[in-house]
Amino acid sequence: MVYDILYFNKHHTSYTIHHTPYTTHHTPHTPYIIHQDFKTMADKLFYFLSFLALLSAMMVVTAKNPIHSVLYLILTFFCLSGHYVLLNAQFVAVVNIIVYAGAIMVLFLFVIMFLNLKQDDEEAKTNLTKIAATIVGGTLGVILVAVFRKAQLGTYNPYSFNSQVGMVENLGEVLYNDYLLPFELASVLFLIAMVGAVMLAKREVGDRHF
Amino acid sequence: MNYLPSDYLPIIVQLVLALGFIVITMLVTHNIGPKRNSKLKDEPFECGIEAKGDARTPISIKYFLVAILFVLFDVEVIFMYPWAVNFKKLGLFGFGEMILFMGLLLAGFYYIIKKGVLEWEK
Amino acid sequence: MLSIILLSIFGIVVLFLGFQKSKNILLPATLLCIAIAFAANFVHWNDAPGLYFKEMLFENRLTMSFSAIVLLSAFLVVALTRGFADDEAAQPAEYYAIILFSLVGAIMMIGFDNLIMLFLGVEILSVSMYVLTGSDKRNLRSNEAALKYFLMGAFATGIMLFGIALLYGATGSFNLTDIRGYVGTNSFSISTLLYVGLLLVLIGMLFKVSAAPFHFWTPDVYDGAPTVFTAFMSTIVKTAGFAAIYRLLSGSFEGIYNFWWFTLAAITILTLVVGNITAVYQQSFKRMMAYSSISHAGYLLLSLTAMTAQTPDAIVFYSLAYSLATVSAFGVLMAVAREKSVQSHENAEDFEAFNGLGKRNPLLAFVLTVSMLSLAGIPLTAGFWGKFFIFGTIVERGNLIWMLIVAILMSAVGIYYYFKVIIATYMKDGETGALRVPPFYRIVLIVSTTLTLLFGLIPKLLS
Repeated sequence: MVYDILYFNKHHTSYTIHHTPYTTHHTPHTPYIIHQDFKTMADKLFYFLSFLALLSAMMVVTAKNPIHSVLYLILTFFCLSGHYVLLNAQFVAVVNIIVYAGAIMVLFLFVIMFLNLKQDDEEAKTNLTKIAATIVGGTLGVILVAVFRKAQLGTYNPYSFNSQVGMVENLGEVLYNDYLLPFELASVLFLIAMVGAVMLAKREVGDRHF
Repeated sequence: MNYLPSDYLPIIVQLVLALGFIVITMLVTHNIGPKRNSKLKDEPFECGIEAKGDARTPISIKYFLVAILFVLFDVEVIFMYPWAVNFKKLGLFGFGEMILFMGLLLAGFYYIIKKGVLEWEK
Repeated sequence: MLSIILLSIFGIVVLFLGFQKSKNILLPATLLCIAIAFAANFVHWNDAPGLYFKEMLFENRLTMSFSAIVLLSAFLVVALTRGFADDEAAQPAEYYAIILFSLVGAIMMIGFDNLIMLFLGVEILSVSMYVLTGSDKRNLRSNEAALKYFLMGAFATGIMLFGIALLYGATGSFNLTDIRGYVGTNSFSISTLLYVGLLLVLIGMLFKVSAAPFHFWTPDVYDGAPTVFTAFMSTIVKTAGFAAIYRLLSGSFEGIYNFWWFTLAAITILTLVVGNITAVYQQSFKRMMAYSSISHAGYLLLSLTAMTAQTPDAIVFYSLAYSLATVSAFGVLMAVAREKSVQSHENAEDFEAFNGLGKRNPLLAFVLTVSMLSLAGIPLTAGFWGKFFIFGTIVERGNLIWMLIVAILMSAVGIYYYFKVIIATYMKDGETGALRVPPFYRIVLIVSTTLTLLFGLIPKLLS
C-alpha cells in the first residue's frame, strides 16, 4: 500500500508514521505497533475518506448543475481535511476548511451567480475533442498509477521521527526562519491580486449601478 | 504536549450526530406531514410583496470585489496563527518580519480605502 | 537580490503616486525605479556566487545577466507607454505598479534555489500578466484573452505544483542542491516519482514560455492584449521562463540528462515547426509576432536540449537579441497602429498598416527593418550571433546534428515571413503623409536598434 499508516506505540506518548514499502519484502515487525485495532481503524478511515474524496471529485465534474458541483467540491475539501488529520497535520486541515471550503467556495458561488447559466447551452465539444481528451487523460492516469505502483518511498527512522512535525508550532518555526523570503514575497502576490482586482472590477463612471 | 489524530474523534462524533439529526429531521418532516399544493402556497413568500422576475439576474460586481478582498485578507490572517503561537520563540526578529508583511498588506488596504472600493454609494 | 527588495517597495511607491493630481510624474518615476533596480542588480557582480536568505535565492553572474536583460527590456517597454496619459480609462499607476511587482516575480524565477521560490515567482509573474492582459476593460478581445490566459495558466500552474509535490515526495526536499545530491547519490535507484515530477514541472514551465504543444493560448492572448503588454509578455516572461528552466535542469537534473533530453528534443522540433510554419499564414502582425515568439522559444529550447558549457551564454545572448528586436518591432507597431486606429478601427494591426512606411517615416521603417532582420537572424544584427551561438551549442553536443538541420530549415522559413514585413514597408504603396512620432518614443527605438546593431557587429561586447 502506498500510504502511510498510522500506528500508536505502547505508551501513547508519541506515534509514528510507518511507511510500508510495497516492493520490499521486509514486513513491519517493529515492536511499536501494539494497537493493531487502531491501525486497522485508521486504515479503514483512510479508505473511506479516499473513496468519498474520489467519488465527490467525480461528481464535481459530472454534475449538471454548477451549484451542485460547488457543493461536491466542498465535500471533497472536507475529505482532504480528514486526510490531513490522519497525517497529524492539523493546522493544514483547519486552514483547508477555513480558506478553501469557506472563503474560496463562496467566491465560486459568486461567479456562478454572475454567469447567466439558466439557458442550457449544449456543450459545443465535438466528438473528436472528447475522444482526444479521454485518450490524454487516460494516458496520464495510467502513467501515474504505474509510477505510484513502482515508486520507492523514502524510509524513516522510528527513533528520531517527530510525530509533531505538522503542528502549528513547528510549522511556524520553519515558515518564519527558513522560508522567510517566500513568506514576505507572498505579500507581493497578495498586493498584485488586490490591485488587479480593484483595477479590473472597480465600477467606472457610466457602469450599471445597483 | 502531543497531539494525535485520535484527538479529533469527538469532532467526528459531533459531526455524525449533527448530520444525522438534520437528515433524520428532514426525512421525518417530509414524510409524516400532510401535503397540499396550490398555486398560492407554492409561491415564494416575500413579506406580502409579490415576487417579480427571476432571482438569477446579474448582480453588481461590487459584491464580488468585496468577497475577493475578504479572501485575500483571510489568507493573510492565516499566516498570523503560526506566528502568534511562536511569538516568544521568534523574538524581535519574528516581530519585525510580521511588521513588514503586515506593512505591505496594510499599504494595499490603504490603497483600497483611498480608491473608495469599500464605499457602496460611490 | 537587492533589486527584489527595491522593486517591491518601488511598486508600492508608484501605486501611491497615482493618487497625485498629475499623472505625468508616473512614467519618469517608474523609469527611475527600474534604473535603480538595474544598478542594484550589479552590486554583487564581483563577488563569488552566493546563496541568500537561507538558501532561497542564488546569485552569480549568470543570474545577474538574466535579471539585467529582464530589467532592460522592462525599461524599454515602460518607456514606450507614453500613450496612457491620453487615455481616460487607463489607470497608469496601477499598470506601472503591477509591472514593477511582476519584475520581482521574474527575478525570483531567474535566481530561485528552492522550488517554493520558483512557484511563487511564476505565480507573481503570471497573475500580473493575467491582469495586464485584461486591462483594456472595454475591449471584448482583451477580456477574452485575459480569461483564456487565466484559465489555461492556472491549469498549467496546477500541473507544475503537482510536479513539485512529486519531486518533494521523491527527494524529501525543495532545495535544488539537495535534489541534485539525491540524483547524484541514488543514480541507480532514483524513485520513479522524480521522473514524473520533473516532467510535470517542465510541462508547467514550457506552457509559460509557450512551447508547442502548450502554445495554444499564445496567439489569442498576444493578439487580444494591449500591444504594450504584449511586448512586455513576449520579452520578460520568455527570458525569465528560460532562465528558470535552465536553472532547474542544470541545477538539479544534469545527472539524468539521458532521461529528459529526448522529451525536450521532441518538444523543440515541434515548437520550431509549428511556430515557423503557422507564422507564414498570419495576416495580423501581432499574430505573426505571437507565432514568431513560439519559434524563438524553439531556438532557445534547442540550446537547452544541448546543455553544454556554452548553453548559458548562448541563452543570455539570444534572449537579449530577441528582447531588443521584439521591443522595437512592437514599438513601431504601436506608433503606426495608434495613428491608424484614429482613422478606422479595423485591421489596424495587419501587415498593411506598414504599407508605405518607408516614405512616411524613414526612421520607423529602418527600426522595423533592423528588428525584422535581427529576428530572422541575418548577419550584422544581434539575432545572427544569437542563432550562431545557439547552433554552436548543438554542434558541441555532437549527436544532435539532425536537430540543427531542422532548425536551419525553419530559420529559412522564418526569413520569408519577416521579409514580408520589410517588403510591405518599402515596396508597397500605402497612405502618404508623414507619420509623427514623439521624440521620447524615438529615443527608445533608436536605443534598442543601436544595441541590436552594436551586438551584431561586436558580439564579444557581452562577456
